[in-house]
Amino acid sequence: MSKPLPPDEDALRPHSYDGIQEYDKRLPNWWLFTLYGTVVFAIIYWAYYHAYGTAPDDGAALKSAMVENTAQAARATGSSGVLNDEALWKLSHDQTKLAAGKVTFETMCASCHKPDMTGLIGPNLLDNQWIHGGQPMEVMKTVTEGVLAKGMVAWGPILGKEKITEVVAYVMAHHIPARRS
Amino acid sequence: MTNTATKTTIEYDDTPVRQFMIASIAWGIVGMLVGVLIATQLAFFQLNFNTPWLTFGRLRPLHTNAVIFAFVGNMMFAGVYYSTQRLVKARTASKFLSQLHFWGWQAIILAAAVTLPLGLTRGKEYAELIWPINIAVALIWVVFGINFFWTLGRRNERSLYVAIWFYISTIITVAMLYIVNHLSIPTSLTHSYPIFGGVQDALVQWWYGHNAVAFFLTTPILGIMYYFLPKAAGRPVYSYRLSVVHFWSLVFLYIWAGPHHLLNTSLPRWLQSLGMIFSLMLWAPSWGGMLNGLLTLRGAWDKLRTDPVIKFFVAGVTFYGMSTFEGPLLSIRPVNALAHYSDWIIAHVHAGALGWNGFMAAGMFYWLAPRLWNRPLHSVAAANMHFWLGLVGILLYVSSMWVSGITQGLMLSATHENGTVLANPNFLDAVTSTMFLMHIRALGGFMFLAGFIILAWNIWKTASGAQAVNGTVEVFVEEKPKAMGLIGGFANAPVIFITLLIVFAMGWGALPRVASGICLWAFLGTFMAMIAHKEFTKATWGQWYERLLENALPFTVLTAVSVFIGGIVQIIPTVIIDTAENIEGVRQIPYTPLELAGRDIYVREGCYNCHSQQIRTLVGDVLRYGDYSKMGESIYDHPYQWGSKRTGPDLAREGSKYPNSWHFFHMRDPRQISPGSRMPNYPWLFTDQTDIASLRRKIEVQRKLGVPFKETTKDEIAASCLAQGEEIVANLKTASAETTPDREIVALISYLQKLGKSEKVGPHGEQPAEPAKTEPPKTAAK
Repeated sequence: MSKPLPPDEDALRPHSYDGIQEYDKRLPNWWLFTLYGTVVFAIIYWAYYHAYGTAPDDGAALKSAMVENTAQAARATGSSGVLNDEALWKLSHDQTKLAAGKVTFETMCASCHKPDMTGLIGPNLLDNQWIHGGQPMEVMKTVTEGVLAKGMVAWGPILGKEKITEVVAYVMAHHIPARRS
Repeated sequence: MTNTATKTTIEYDDTPVRQFMIASIAWGIVGMLVGVLIATQLAFFQLNFNTPWLTFGRLRPLHTNAVIFAFVGNMMFAGVYYSTQRLVKARTASKFLSQLHFWGWQAIILAAAVTLPLGLTRGKEYAELIWPINIAVALIWVVFGINFFWTLGRRNERSLYVAIWFYISTIITVAMLYIVNHLSIPTSLTHSYPIFGGVQDALVQWWYGHNAVAFFLTTPILGIMYYFLPKAAGRPVYSYRLSVVHFWSLVFLYIWAGPHHLLNTSLPRWLQSLGMIFSLMLWAPSWGGMLNGLLTLRGAWDKLRTDPVIKFFVAGVTFYGMSTFEGPLLSIRPVNALAHYSDWIIAHVHAGALGWNGFMAAGMFYWLAPRLWNRPLHSVAAANMHFWLGLVGILLYVSSMWVSGITQGLMLSATHENGTVLANPNFLDAVTSTMFLMHIRALGGFMFLAGFIILAWNIWKTASGAQAVNGTVEVFVEEKPKAMGLIGGFANAPVIFITLLIVFAMGWGALPRVASGICLWAFLGTFMAMIAHKEFTKATWGQWYERLLENALPFTVLTAVSVFIGGIVQIIPTVIIDTAENIEGVRQIPYTPLELAGRDIYVREGCYNCHSQQIRTLVGDVLRYGDYSKMGESIYDHPYQWGSKRTGPDLAREGSKYPNSWHFFHMRDPRQISPGSRMPNYPWLFTDQTDIASLRRKIEVQRKLGVPFKETTKDEIAASCLAQGEEIVANLKTASAETTPDREIVALISYLQKLGKSEKVGPHGEQPAEPAKTEPPKTAAK
């Protein structure tokens, strides 16, 4: 601290604390602008949402956004053909659908129904005992809406129609129409 | 002012400095070692060793507590004891109190290191220590405070330097935060329930949690920077007025920012807004500290090449700037929606803890050791090697966690088909995609630890065999000038004007229309009056402030007032409202005794370290976990378990999602059900018996806290537990899962199956005509 100051340097404050001295430089403009800018933003934000406006109801906004999403998704897929038992039986021979269904089954379903479908936590899917109906559309409904009382998750909103169609096709590929019960 | 000064020589008491410094290094190594272990556990679940006290959920609190309170705590005390004596030219007031402080603090740390792995915890982050230790912490903190202010009272340097301002704010604020967040009612010598529950507990917790970062990890270290950095650089501090502005804005604004940990949750929206806008306003005040640190080095940058102390300080202050830029960024609601619950937050805190705290500690230790033992540092080359190892370690750690966090955030929120279907329905996809990054982060942490071990060796080589020396100083003991007094501290233009401005601004923001308008005009009027007053009286506030700096008591009170304001505005209205009335039309169904026992097991195992219980108002959250969480759904949760991280999926609506047997097999071996899971196995839950005996006392306390338990007597409780346990066991048997009703796994399953159970009530909690139990919407998956 004994170094001589450069000539253009500001004066030091007179006080020294254990040898530490202080300049009294102006606050940098960009720093001040950042401070004032964030304060102004805070005031506007508060005025807009709380002081004068009403704070958005996040829950209600989310709900209407999701309703809108669903409507749009329905419009987008509306024309993509009707699903019925016959169509699903047909899909159970479509190798690309089956391959995709197998992947979904093994990642999402196998933890309860086991990879070979013989069942552990969830029921066996190979036998002809269908608790909630063995028609493809009935299986589709069970997967989509779940069986909440027994711990079968409603997969509809999670997997979506396409993946559920594939996985049902994959399950139905292990059955034949005549043997259904 | 008079010439009655007498010259005298003071010998500083540097023994506690040496003690705290050695303790900090030792505990630092322990804390970082546990950190490396738990980081590695996230890559290799086998390292949980199927052993209760070695599992992630119990060791992660040990890691955070050790780093915050043991490593940084001891480092802070070393720096405060060293610099305060020199800045006020007085020996620490009481040797006894210094020793009590040191040994008391080490006893607390030791107690924490034993109790946390045993699963004795309060279940709130960074506030896990059990109540007897809480009391010890508060007492030792008071000892520290008394010793510090007593030393200030005996000072031979009239004016307080900026470092001292920061120390004062630390002592006052940490005491306030710690006490409020640790208010609990004991149920036994080792267990208690926090008096706040649900959303209130969440708010108080993050008011504390955020400000533990602010006033334990930031303000004292800024004070240390203001002493040691100009000392090491041999240059004057860049700007005194920047010190003034950034100190006061920092302490006033920081305390408001806590709710940014609870954005998009069921916390009332006005609190979320306050948390966000105050966090943004903190950007400049935080950077003021960085600027004053870095610009002090003007004219001394050449030392960066040669002096390891300067290297560590420059990198430390730069990481401070980075973290305090990142903090406000993460507080912006849409950014937070992506980053919250992800590894991005882990990156953020480690940029602060490793970069700012770790490097400032290293710089300070390398500067102190030669002075405390009067011998040059053993090896400058080793210190340089520590620097580069540490720096590369931090960069590996932080960048891998950034990538991992953003990957998790994007994958878990991504949707298909117009936002109606999750793109990655399996939570484990996000786990397996980031697995590689877990290895990188463990490597980065290991490098940082290795560097720190080099520091320990270097300091040990410097100190061993050397004579410990205490610093001395010659002072002129002056007659004390007339004190300002408390009244004089407040009854002056600056304090009155600023108080009025703050009061009117808050009135404008909080009051209804007309009153709000009056406050706005009053604010503008006060502002004009302030300008006029300055013009007419030619008063400069600078002179007043310099007088204030000579008066420690009014200075301390003003600091306390400025940190209390934010706390009062946020905490008081939230904790005094009637919880029964503010529940958004949904009320949690109270737990049964067995479920409460299961919940205590959940807390004991630290499940909240990886699982949240809060579904945010975001499409991705709702699609994956079910309808968003309402305030009323956790009102009976003491402590709240909303969590802050989703290493595993959210559990807010876990109840009834899967059969009992799913949980049974999953807790025994998570990978049997969820291939690729990182969760530890919990074999002891299948052999240990549920603690039913303590339930009577626990339920008594819960009832005192307002939770409507029906069962009260010992027999009622035992009968209820047995009946519910037998039901679960019978159900498990149908899936060939064999156990008995007295096992912990049964209690835990009963709790997990209760998660998310609530009933619909009127908007103010009225019971509906027909109490219709609502099953939570089942749109949920793992």
